[in-house]
Amino acid sequence: MALDESPSPPLSSVENNFQPFFVLHKASPPRKSAAKTRRRIELSPNAVEDSPEGYNENLRFETFKFLWSRNESTIKEVLKNNNAEVFDKIDKWISESFNSICAYGKLDYISATRPYPHLDKASISTSVASHQIFTALLCTKNMEFVDDILTFVDLGAHLRSRGRYVANLTSLDFTAKNGVGGCLKSLVRQFLMVGIDAPDISILASWYTEQGNTGNPMIVIIDDTERCCGAVLTDFIIMLREWFIKIPIILILGVATTDGLRNNLSSNACSYLSLCEFTLGTPAKRMDAVIEAVLMNKSYSFGIGKQVSVFLRNYFLRHDGTLTFFVRALKIAMVQHVYMEPLSFTLKKLVQEEETEGIGGGSTLGKNLVKRALELPSPMRSCQSRENRNDYAHGLSELKRLRKLWSSMVMCLYEVGKYHKITLLDLYCDMLEPVPCDSRASDHLQLSKDNSISSYNRHLLGCFQNGGWVNRAIQIVRDMPAVELCKLLKSWEMLTSGINEIHDKVMELQSLEIHEENRQKQGMTDISKRSTARNNFSDKMDETKIKAKVATFLECMVRECMQPTESMPSNEIFLFNNVDKLQAALTGDPRRRIQTDLLESQKFLKCSCCSKSSGVLSPSMHDTSIMYSLAQEHGDLINLHEWFHSFKEIVSQPRTQAKQRLRLSPSPKKRKACQQPQNQNESSMQARFCRAITELQIAGLLRMPSKRRPDYVQRVAFGL
Amino acid sequence: MESNDVEEEEFGFSRNYFLAKEVRSSGKKGARKLSQINIVDEQELREACSNIEPKHENEIIILVNSYKNSYSEWVYVLRCGFGLLMYGFGSKKALIEDFASTALTDYSVVVINGYLQTINLKQVAITLAELLWDQLKTQWKGASGNKQQPFNTRSMDDLITFLDGPHSENDDTFVCVIVNNIDGPGLRDSETQQYLARIAACSHIRMVASVDHVNALLLWDKKMVHTQFNWYWFHVPTYAPYKVEGMFFPLILAHNGSGQSVKTASIVLQSLTVNAQKIFKVLADRQLANPDEEGMPFNNLYEECKVLFIASNEITLNSHLTEFKDHELVKTRRNSDNEDCLYIPLTSEALEKLVQEMSQES
Repeated sequence: MALDESPSPPLSSVENNFQPFFVLHKASPPRKSAAKTRRRIELSPNAVEDSPEGYNENLRFETFKFLWSRNESTIKEVLKNNNAEVFDKIDKWISESFNSICAYGKLDYISATRPYPHLDKASISTSVASHQIFTALLCTKNMEFVDDILTFVDLGAHLRSRGRYVANLTSLDFTAKNGVGGCLKSLVRQFLMVGIDAPDISILASWYTEQGNTGNPMIVIIDDTERCCGAVLTDFIIMLREWFIKIPIILILGVATTDGLRNNLSSNACSYLSLCEFTLGTPAKRMDAVIEAVLMNKSYSFGIGKQVSVFLRNYFLRHDGTLTFFVRALKIAMVQHVYMEPLSFTLKKLVQEEETEGIGGGSTLGKNLVKRALELPSPMRSCQSRENRNDYAHGLSELKRLRKLWSSMVMCLYEVGKYHKITLLDLYCDMLEPVPCDSRASDHLQLSKDNSISSYNRHLLGCFQNGGWVNRAIQIVRDMPAVELCKLLKSWEMLTSGINEIHDKVMELQSLEIHEENRQKQGMTDISKRSTARNNFSDKMDETKIKAKVATFLECMVRECMQPTESMPSNEIFLFNNVDKLQAALTGDPRRRIQTDLLESQKFLKCSCCSKSSGVLSPSMHDTSIMYSLAQEHGDLINLHEWFHSFKEIVSQPRTQAKQRLRLSPSPKKRKACQQPQNQNESSMQARFCRAITELQIAGLLRMPSKRRPDYVQRVAFGL
Repeated sequence: MESNDVEEEEFGFSRNYFLAKEVRSSGKKGARKLSQINIVDEQELREACSNIEPKHENEIIILVNSYKNSYSEWVYVLRCGFGLLMYGFGSKKALIEDFASTALTDYSVVVINGYLQTINLKQVAITLAELLWDQLKTQWKGASGNKQQPFNTRSMDDLITFLDGPHSENDDTFVCVIVNNIDGPGLRDSETQQYLARIAACSHIRMVASVDHVNALLLWDKKMVHTQFNWYWFHVPTYAPYKVEGMFFPLILAHNGSGQSVKTASIVLQSLTVNAQKIFKVLADRQLANPDEEGMPFNNLYEECKVLFIASNEITLNSHLTEFKDHELVKTRRNSDNEDCLYIPLTSEALEKLVQEMSQES
């Protein structure tokens, strides 16, 4: 690696280091400098090394932007559709509630514009006292709130599109610190579009009447109600109730469970609410919908490989459990894929092709792109020998065809499993399993170490005999009642439309089924009761025959059409499978990594002086590294005096002595040193000790001595 | 994964072993004291600290330079809408600032030094808005003259709305915020983190931050990590010394910090009136003369001050005492007669030194 002549110069002056913040530099004028920087990055030797393809950064970014914007909008659409039904219900409920509010009568202009709540005696004694605020409880059925942030934003947008006045509040608006003022401020901001420092609810009231807004209720959506400060929320509700006549506010509260609200609010406030419950779809259902839309229906676009999908599934099930995490992981995977896979730019072409099918048709790959693709150490192994543009294009369309076939088969299997609680994510992971189908796959088997011959057998067994999903699906089909089978075939027909190979056969099966059904119906009407038993028997025979046929069809299709994605030629263009890189970017692991940095500093510094084998300390090692390694020998508390002395002992070993000791005793602390200054004076030793401790403190690995134990520091992290 | 488990197991084992050993040894009263180390003078220690000979200088330069290869990837990730979170042992300040000044020249860059004690995020947001405004103005050149009210009169919410607003078709227009030590003392409270998260989530802001604390993740909830900061982690150990970051940490061998408190106390006293200093001296002398007492009851102090013509009435004396208490020069505690006593929270040694310093100055 080329070593720069000088280390990077100090960029900020000393003063800047003590500014809470400062402007490092302003954006240079757009176009000129943009080109300059890009060129500079490309020209610098390191950068070129980094991207040997000379793969243009803008092309990368554009590709990513193009691909992700499609994914993003698809996901948004799916989630919105998923909630559409509930949203419509809520809207209907709002109309009904508002009508009953209006039924209480209208205020005259003068009393409506008075800056205090409308509380004349008559109304208190009669209707207002029994007034409750209409409140929708929207159960998210989800522990994690993060998935539903978008849901509530969508709900707001949905209601606004119906002409309602909507404000979205979050738990941050209901903090004990800001009190009711905080949420009022936010309300006024959203309804009146002005920021007022000391808002008053009468402002809202006068705004509502003055604008002639009376035809519409004001909707306040509070997401994550359980995290709001209970006291503030209670005050807010009591206040709203006082102003009920003047400001017809309808609340929509997002809660995980219905009990949550009762725990959070005082019973008084609870009694002011007239509750109506709505429930959102489960997270698992949402997950399936997203996977179907993003990974299955867009099989011609970016996808994730076996390892990555298994990692994501496990993380979803065991750690995070949020769809947001999954979507973010997909995004990072795409970022990395586009960055690392030079041919991923062809994905953009493929997607465009797919979207404008019929207009352009065929391959529209530019000459330059193909040329570059063929010059690269291409992953398109099957096309390697044939340096022909048409073959390349042909290979791509073949790959596309196979992917489509694969995904529609997975969807068919999913359809079978719908009644048996299998999630699409599980199925997706299972079906990616390489099941070698023909000789074409053999070289891939050799290439990847996973796919040894034994695993070949295992997969075959797993998928077709040993209770793999396919096997179970076949069994399910065999046992399926005729009505369900009919439904299944219908859904298959939809799923396979456009894929001639399967579609024709599905149609054939369906016609058989319909024919059979008709025959049965006819039989039922024609034949007298006497012969029903015999007829039923023969009907059953026919039914099982058809089921067997469907099952055989399924088996055949899986065998023939479901070439495992990872053994398709040039699947690398589509599939991202670098699970380590994804995990590193996605979750980081500061706790473990920072400790490893310290305990195995030689690995990163790659110096020649420190010992190669870990666990042995040499005086040349990084001071903090030595200190932390020494700390491993202590328990929860470290005696500073002892620590200092063992540090001093390690650091002040002169080279020769260390060597001698090494020979004499196998004690782990002695090792050869390099450039060891002979006369380490006391003050510098103490200074180094102090600095190492400060650095460990910054890393959060130590707690400072307490008054009770002034001679000890406390270790914080144990184990990696 | 298997090897990790083995490591973990070994760790667990060694931990138990040493814990057991410790329990045994802690029974003995002979644990060694910090004071047994012959600690050098604080001045000398500080000087030595600034002159520590660096180790592995070349290796560190090579390591840090090796990250330059990733600059293009970092820019790409940033443009894709993620926030970069740099972690790993060693100061990353120089690395990140070098990255910004070589690879992010197209964008305005603001640096926040989270290792400092107080940071006013409102000011930061105002600066960000001004920079964004400048950037947008150059884009709209020739277009209709948009007027903008000055940012420093706006509320934080308005500023964030401005930073998040759809101002330009080109979503590649952003101001980059670098936060050194986003887990630092000045930014650690949850309100500040919420504001940082809201700023980071703005469409015209990209954030590059560094963390050093192993438990930094605990600062954020899932909403912040997944939807607002949108972190993309990079492990970049540099092994560079935490020079600036560590400046505000007390040196562990510096006489338990007494030197520091004497210095701060004498600075505070200097800024007070002569009479206030005299009152403090009365209290100090009394405490030095009777080290075993709980402190000096208010009335005794008042009597003594009256005799010495330092304070003529209780109100003046009280106002001086309030000032002392605000600076933590004086505290109160109860004595055995359940009387409130005033005392100076310093060791006799430190107090003597302080009195000496005071008499030298006067």
